[in-house]
Amino acid sequence: MDFTYTDDQRAFRDAMRALLMVEASPERVREGWELDAGISPQLQELIAAQGLSALSVPEAFGGLGLADTDWALLSQEFGYYAVPDAALNTAYPAACLIAALPDAPSLQQATLPRLAAGELQLAISHPLNPLVADADRADLVLAWADSEVHAVPRSAVDVSALASVDPARRLYRVSLETGAGTRVADAAQGEVLWRELINRSNLAICGQLLGLTQRILDISIDYSAQRKQFGKAIGSFQAVKHHMADVAVQSEFAKPVFNRAAWAVEHGHPLRDVYVSQARLACSEAAALAARNGIQLHGAMGYTWECDLQIFMKRIWALASSWGDAAFHKARVADWLFAPDTEIGPGKTFI
Amino acid sequence: MKVLVAVKRVVDYNVKVRVKADGSGVDIANVKMSMNPFDEIAVEEAVRLKEAGKASEIIVVSMGVKQCEETLRTALAMGADRAILVETETELQPLAVAKLLKEIAAKEAPQLMILGKQAIDDDANQTGQMVAALLGWGQGTFASKVDLAAETVNVTREIDGGLETVKLALPAVVTTDLRLNEPRYVKLPNIMAAKKKPLEKVSPADLGVDVTPRLTTLKVAEPAKRSAGIKVASAAELVAKLKNEAKVL
Repeated sequence: MDFTYTDDQRAFRDAMRALLMVEASPERVREGWELDAGISPQLQELIAAQGLSALSVPEAFGGLGLADTDWALLSQEFGYYAVPDAALNTAYPAACLIAALPDAPSLQQATLPRLAAGELQLAISHPLNPLVADADRADLVLAWADSEVHAVPRSAVDVSALASVDPARRLYRVSLETGAGTRVADAAQGEVLWRELINRSNLAICGQLLGLTQRILDISIDYSAQRKQFGKAIGSFQAVKHHMADVAVQSEFAKPVFNRAAWAVEHGHPLRDVYVSQARLACSEAAALAARNGIQLHGAMGYTWECDLQIFMKRIWALASSWGDAAFHKARVADWLFAPDTEIGPGKTFI
Repeated sequence: MKVLVAVKRVVDYNVKVRVKADGSGVDIANVKMSMNPFDEIAVEEAVRLKEAGKASEIIVVSMGVKQCEETLRTALAMGADRAILVETETELQPLAVAKLLKEIAAKEAPQLMILGKQAIDDDANQTGQMVAALLGWGQGTFASKVDLAAETVNVTREIDGGLETVKLALPAVVTTDLRLNEPRYVKLPNIMAAKKKPLEKVSPADLGVDVTPRLTTLKVAEPAKRSAGIKVASAAELVAKLKNEAKVL
């Protein structure tokens, strides 16, 4: 397993960072909260123009046909700048699912070129997420029904909005009718497709959580160097340093677990479900600690509306139960760990 | 019309550089490097000229270590057609760069050469002027507007207190100022497409140029740290301090 990112992957990251650093400042993120979409149309257009949604579309349909590890650094940038995750969900797990459909050439022909051009938005309805993000703005909803995959046009979906703890997220309860006309994969095919979609959605969340953790670290370190008590910057006090050091250690330990999970999904490793859930647990714990310690370090003002910290910690809370909560992921790991034929121990568990 | 653009790999503008302990320079080990921002503006201008149908081919040139290839790939992803890397481990100073550019210009015969007005690492602001002098071409430095015609180029220059427009016969050298344009964001598919564009590597010896440094850096030091300020109770006290202590009034 080679965890070194390639020049191209780093170039993608740098290009996306150059865009988001300027166009997704905390001020711009806050502006998005007042809009129906939760994100400014200009930022959406810029992200689409970047060609993000072409990355997972096969080359035959006008995309780049890139793989899962290519998203690992990009998703961290999305988290670092708290960009709402609709663009990421459309471009990565949803695009991969459509590209992998075994018997739906007409749907692929109708959607993938438009996805590559950034002209199509998708939403995903699955029992793991009772509320569907951005269903109102999606052109097509990919829906789970008894393990089958259905592609339901937005016009056939009723949505009712619900508030999220994260002011940038737009969540909806959806009501849709599925049938032979909307079915694009049967239950046997769907089992495989949904499994990969759950893994990819969780990889996207892991990346965002790592980016969010790093952002809280950076904000908190800056603040601790400026805020003074007893005549000194509070960052010089050991008890304050320890809060941030704990977060940095957790984050650094989560990164290789995340890298392994991305590699495993890309290469179809038999234990990819376990690795993804393990990564999700590690990244979630690091991010939750970052949010908690970030508030501590900012004193009483960490949770206030004026403080940018709230943007990032609320995104962490919002993502906490998206695509499976801790219990779901612990159960996936436990199912493997406690199976009678599982070989665990030195040289076995962590290969 | 061919346009030649020179780009330099420098420490990223977001990085706070640190002076080496021995004062011999700044530490660039494991530091993020990227294209000099003024050179990004130069590439953008060339791409806009091509999009406007005024330029037919954009050649980007960089000089230095192997990693300059990354900078050239960025320029190719922005829209340049091909790249030339003059690869050397030797420290390149402005005169050496100007000589190398002169030889490349002789080989490629561009009608227009665009460079950043200066690099953000050494802030020398010399290369554009030197290469124009070596080639015997006209120069329009600190450009905030470039209007290219068939035989000439009008360059609006930012000067103290206003703007000056000069008309240069082609071929000419233009150096870019900050307000010339806003460089585009590199699109992700273009990063992949840039890998397929040609990148030629040459050495200073291939071009017959001696790049031995002529200047020696004696010492590099950080700026003196500012001492803490004080609060004054009134405007009168401020005036008194400026008059009696700072002696600036």
